Amino acid sequence: MAAAALRPAILRHIRLSATTVTPLAAAAAAAQPHALARWLGRPMSSHADHLTHDEVVGRVLDVLKSHPKVDPSKVTPEAHFEKDLGLDSLDTVEVVMAIEEEFKLEIPDMEADKIDSLPLAIEYVANHPMAG
Amino acid sequence: MTTRAKLSGIQRQALALYRGFLRTARLKSPEERHRIESVVSAEFRENARNVDRRNFVYIEYLVRRGKRQLEQLKNPDITGLSTLEINKVLTI
Repeated sequence: MAAAALRPAILRHIRLSATTVTPLAAAAAAAQPHALARWLGRPMSSHADHLTHDEVVGRVLDVLKSHPKVDPSKVTPEAHFEKDLGLDSLDTVEVVMAIEEEFKLEIPDMEADKIDSLPLAIEYVANHPMAG
Repeated sequence: MTTRAKLSGIQRQALALYRGFLRTARLKSPEERHRIESVVSAEFRENARNVDRRNFVYIEYLVRRGKRQLEQLKNPDITGLSTLEINKVLTI
């Protein structure tokens, strides 16, 4: 519990040291602002360089399996939160927030409200450039 | 709970509020975070169970009250819900 809560704080520190922008990176940033955002995003996590689709699936499955109301044996990459896992809308909020935390993302309300199944959650994370 | 095919406006507001509380809880100490999460979760679940889903006036009131409490909780000087209990009693 304590370690899990400390992680964001530690990561914030690591992120600071990673932003020591080299002249080269600064030049690249001027040319392509989004490229810099991606580049800054990468060093945040040891997973960032190897975030394969399989890894996204595996980690999303793990998040779901660890939710207290979920029967781990029912968790599949195709499962629907409510129909297959029996989660209500409050549980769904909790699950989506846990996925945010796992991948160090912040999912806006508009997007989060749409995520009601594992396929949608996996798709969202897999397509997110900052997912780590 | 209804299917999530279409969330109503008020339902969306309630879920956004729940999300806001959980997000704010992350900024507190681990102990407080845990406390806030369990208190907030219990409160939302109790209301979801006991409040008639057609009682919009009351639900809107609960959402407004929740928003006020969330704003207070966002203040970094407020470490946890214990500080808000007084407010809760007053607004009931």
